[in-house]
Amino acid sequence: MSLAFLFRAVTREAVKVSVSQPVQCLHSGCQLLAADKALLMKLRKSTGYTFIKCKEALQRFENDIAQAESWLHEQAQKEGWSKASKLEGRKAKEGLIGLFVGKQAAAMVEVNCETDFVARNEKFQQLVKDVTLATLAHHQDKNENLTGYVKSVLTGDELNKLSMGEGSSLADHVALTIGRLGENMSLKRAVTVGVPAEWHIGSYVHGNISGQTEVTMGRYGALVVFQGGKDEERDTLGRKLGQHVVGEAPLSLGNVDDLPCGESETRLLPQTFLGDPSRTVAQFLKGQQARVLDFVRFHCGETLGEQ
Amino acid sequence: PSARILASESWFVFSLQCAVPLSRRTFAAEAKKTYSREKPHVNIGTIGHVDHGKTTLTAAITKVLADAGGANYKKYEDIDNAPEEKARGITINASHVEYTTANRHYAHTDCPGHADYVKNMITGTAQMDGCILVVAATDGQMPQTREHLLLARQIGVEHVVVFINKADAVEDKEMLDLVEIEIRELLTEFGYDGENTPVVIGSALCALENKQPELGENAVMKLLEIVDSYVPLPKRELVKPFLLPIEGVYSIPGRGTVVTGTLERGLIKKGDDCEFVGHSRSFKTVVTGIEMFHKSLDRAEAGDNLGALVRGLKREDVRRGMVMCKPGSIMPHQKVKAQVYILSKEEGGRHKPFVTNFMPVMFSFTWDMACRVTLPGDKEMVMPGEDASLTLTLRQPMVLEKGQRFTLRDGNRTIGTGLVTEILTMTDEDQCNWG
Repeated sequence: MSLAFLFRAVTREAVKVSVSQPVQCLHSGCQLLAADKALLMKLRKSTGYTFIKCKEALQRFENDIAQAESWLHEQAQKEGWSKASKLEGRKAKEGLIGLFVGKQAAAMVEVNCETDFVARNEKFQQLVKDVTLATLAHHQDKNENLTGYVKSVLTGDELNKLSMGEGSSLADHVALTIGRLGENMSLKRAVTVGVPAEWHIGSYVHGNISGQTEVTMGRYGALVVFQGGKDEERDTLGRKLGQHVVGEAPLSLGNVDDLPCGESETRLLPQTFLGDPSRTVAQFLKGQQARVLDFVRFHCGETLGEQ
Repeated sequence: PSARILASESWFVFSLQCAVPLSRRTFAAEAKKTYSREKPHVNIGTIGHVDHGKTTLTAAITKVLADAGGANYKKYEDIDNAPEEKARGITINASHVEYTTANRHYAHTDCPGHADYVKNMITGTAQMDGCILVVAATDGQMPQTREHLLLARQIGVEHVVVFINKADAVEDKEMLDLVEIEIRELLTEFGYDGENTPVVIGSALCALENKQPELGENAVMKLLEIVDSYVPLPKRELVKPFLLPIEGVYSIPGRGTVVTGTLERGLIKKGDDCEFVGHSRSFKTVVTGIEMFHKSLDRAEAGDNLGALVRGLKREDVRRGMVMCKPGSIMPHQKVKAQVYILSKEEGGRHKPFVTNFMPVMFSFTWDMACRVTLPGDKEMVMPGEDASLTLTLRQPMVLEKGQRFTLRDGNRTIGTGLVTEILTMTDEDQCNWG
């Protein structure tokens, strides 16, 4: 009995071996050669596209890495769009505010993504930077001959249509990043301001990400348009005012003579100044001989009033 | 007796039960099961890209274990996608699932964002003893995987196990090797032992759909076995040196002075040496008797509410806020670095930000002490609803150690909660600042 069992077990094993052997051969038949593997690793490292895509590219161009790479870049745009349409509708509430102050003009944008992990990633930050600079460039093109105060608010749809140069739009660029990071992203809003010669723009970004020097980024951002102030202290003044706007979240400007009404004050001028609680903003400005004319505050992920 | 309920853990289990509202409530209606404490408890979590199948894996684990009787099978849809919950007044998005393997009981946490994991760490709702990094074989690591590992480092997770998911969707097995090589390289880059980190290849979907058992069920079982052996048990409170934060001091005529409180950790026996520390005082003596509910006992364990009779102690020698501990096991400190979460307005915190030199009151154990906040160099202010690494300088040294939790209050409002990450030494400048 036990002998019969043993025999059966042995034959089963033998069959298994003989069956699995050809499978193994078949498998190794379609395996990549060792050299390809190194190429695949190299391509993946240099481009960052998924393994499957890299492999497809290498097979298509018979291991010509240069061709494969350019094909991948071409494909990335299409891939990005298909990925973007697939992920559309998923909630994107995290993200960053990007802010750039140039000569007599500034731009502030909000770009959203799904998780704050992605917001910390360089590739996403690069996107925010590109969007900010494109928005500012758009502003400068449009208002070249204007010398007065210009403030324009752009919605997500308007931002998507802006061009990035070389015929691609910002929406293409977003799709590309979506393809790379695999999370839904959207351009939420932007504001640009241009000021006449004797006016100044102060700015502050909270939660600043280190390593991004050109365009500052964070979870909160504020632009303050003001007049006056001493020449050498103007930068600090603008920054302090921006910080106050971020911290105290005023909703309107108010008048210089307004009386403060306690903790819940939402007008900027009668609010207690953040940097010096013994004075109101109006009193502080008087001391600095400055006047605030306008301000904008963005908080990343906040729900907009109109929606 | 070794399976005594520890104060912190029992609180944790309790919080889990009331924190997960809908799904658990239905269980409660059916029949209340008793929580059995036969197996040691371990907290683990999953991290990974949103589409790489963390929830599918969790569902697969419960399914595979449900067949073995160690879990209730939860379908993908049943695992609530990170519901908002309130733990110690702080809103955290997290989903919790519990299951039992042959050796251990697990609480499995998954959070959507970096901020949620940090809140988790600070409040201690589900401290992670280890974590499973989920990577899809189809995509390989994502650019943000770097951020995931950075987080794991930041919240002090020392043991990472990798699960390469969606292996069924990859035809070429060599691709799996490449994904594995890549992830090992990345782990090494972030200071983990990339060479020896266990990597399991499988497919959570296969396990759910009962297909390809090699990639499905067996891979999930293998993953659990590895988690069982690779993630060590957290140190039990009972084996630590004892610590009793003093709540009250009473003199009993004819017997002496008794201090009362809840034993934070460790064991006290009659005749043990002890040290009183805090409020700028420190002295050693001996415990001559322990009582609980007017009955004397030989030894008290962590979590017990007790009174201890101490030799030669005068009522005015000690006061609330000091601790009684094993001599030399804990020291008073005046300056610490801490990871703090500042409550948002909706959570009952401040609506205004604060800047350096802000002076809240710090509460920990049974003491409270004014402290001065110093922000890190790259930060000018802290907004409500965000976490920050702060330096706190106390007006007087109090008992503090790495890993201790505390609350910050301002006036009659709790403004934040934190975790000590580093003990710093006082400089002369700090002394002067207190004037």
